[in-house]
Amino acid sequence: MKNLLLKCGLLAALFVVGSFRSLALDGAVVIANSSVAADSLSADALKDIYNAKTKYWDGGQAIVIAVLPEKTDAALLQVSGMEAGAFKTFWQRLAFSGRGQQPKTADDAAALVALVASTKGAIAIVPADATLTGVKTIAVK
Amino acid sequence: MMYSHSTNKLALAITAAIMASCAAQAYEVPLTFMGTNMPPLDFHGFLSQGFLYSSDYNYLANDSKKGSFQFTEAGLNVAMNPFPRTHITIQAFDFDVGNVGQYDPILDYASIEYTFNDEVGIRAGRIRRPGGIYNSIQDIDLARTSVLLPQGVYDARWRDFSSTIDGGDLFGNISLKKAGSLSYELYAGFINMADNGGVARFIQNGLPLGGTFEAIDQCPIFGAQLWWNTPLDGFRIGLSGGYISNFGYSINQFIPPNPPFPAFTAPIHFVGNIPFGQVSAEYLYKNWTFQAEGYTYNVSGHNYAAIIPGGSAEQPETQTAAWYVSAAYRFNKWLEVGAYYTEDYQDTTKISDSLFFQKDAALSFRFDIKDWWVVKAEGHYIHGTGLLADNKDNPMQNDNGWFMLAIKTTVSF
Repeated sequence: MKNLLLKCGLLAALFVVGSFRSLALDGAVVIANSSVAADSLSADALKDIYNAKTKYWDGGQAIVIAVLPEKTDAALLQVSGMEAGAFKTFWQRLAFSGRGQQPKTADDAAALVALVASTKGAIAIVPADATLTGVKTIAVK
Repeated sequence: MMYSHSTNKLALAITAAIMASCAAQAYEVPLTFMGTNMPPLDFHGFLSQGFLYSSDYNYLANDSKKGSFQFTEAGLNVAMNPFPRTHITIQAFDFDVGNVGQYDPILDYASIEYTFNDEVGIRAGRIRRPGGIYNSIQDIDLARTSVLLPQGVYDARWRDFSSTIDGGDLFGNISLKKAGSLSYELYAGFINMADNGGVARFIQNGLPLGGTFEAIDQCPIFGAQLWWNTPLDGFRIGLSGGYISNFGYSINQFIPPNPPFPAFTAPIHFVGNIPFGQVSAEYLYKNWTFQAEGYTYNVSGHNYAAIIPGGSAEQPETQTAAWYVSAAYRFNKWLEVGAYYTEDYQDTTKISDSLFFQKDAALSFRFDIKDWWVVKAEGHYIHGTGLLADNKDNPMQNDNGWFMLAIKTTVSF
């Protein structure tokens, strides 16, 4: 019985520790299309976007996620809690069951920035050294 | 019929060629209407071709003992967001698993959804039915490590029964603060099963001598899927269940002469109810994926023979149950290895009878050769024959273990 209580306590502690989120993206920044009204997002709000719990911006514009495979995988893991492969599978599950739209992909940072600049409602994680033209930076709090 | 299937195969081959030529890129098509820029259409698609080989019995494919390519899936979907918070999506689907599907194209889903906020949305039309980890994506090869899902929980032949409904659902995600969040889908509608679908084939196989299958009814269904997304990243626990009422089908039963009565054919209609439930757990930890699910349903009802006075007979209630545990590990961008063990009991009162159970240990290798091209190879050691279903293909069944090899490749965009 004592062992069971100890295990339950440890599990509860693990959950509580896991629920405190802070986010400082290493070597990456979050950008968005200029149509996006938000200038900042909380780490939880950003995670909800990448986990498909939030699919629309406040004004009703659909959120379009754009990704740069491999080069921003570490930051993607920080934001979404998923490895790149799991993230891709997660969105394929949604898209092919009629429950979401797959993230768009770009081959390099410049192409990703251009994609976000030209796509209404788009959001992306880009390397911090990317040249940001025609997009806005989203502060993550 | 042969011409129709040849035509469908040709259409599938053309689809494959188109997919191969445009693989790796999703397609976005800009639209204009009365001079106004419309939101773009977003196209995605996939084509999967499998190969099945089994040692002792014909399983899933009619002639898998000789090696069979009767294992094909293809889908093409288009989605758009025409108005704020509004999403429209349509998918056409084509498949063949043994004698089910047979390349007849179907409208897989076509729905419109409106999301009021993160907590509440509504979706209507033909929709994929939620149920556990895989029910709504059971035929999407890209979405898993294995070639075959645990067949007791997700039978590839029964997709017309389990995959979609015509109706609607209410969905959303409710924050539980530090306790994570709760995702829900509440649905109701009708199941439209095909007269040549997996359930119809299953019924046909179980008919007594002199019985011929006539038709299967549309039946109402309601249910719910709940997911508790725990505060531990990647760990979620699910609970789903529902109720199918007025599940029915018709047969004609030949009654031999019994002097002084002549021979005659009696139309018989079965009507029953099917409550079902499923528990699920999934944990994504670094490059690991752990999953476990249990599923059960009960069938009970009556056979009615209108032309026979007092011709109503209760069909004894049957409970079916299945479960599995699985683990998969992604070694790198191109290789993932997984394994699962599953048990299925077609009748929980006969759990020791190998004709009614099937236990399956599987080892899977998934190779992501390109972003748009996946190849999988999988070995199964199976004990029991509870899911073979078609006795005509497997007249002799015994208690020995047997093997199956499954290979599948998928291209997508």
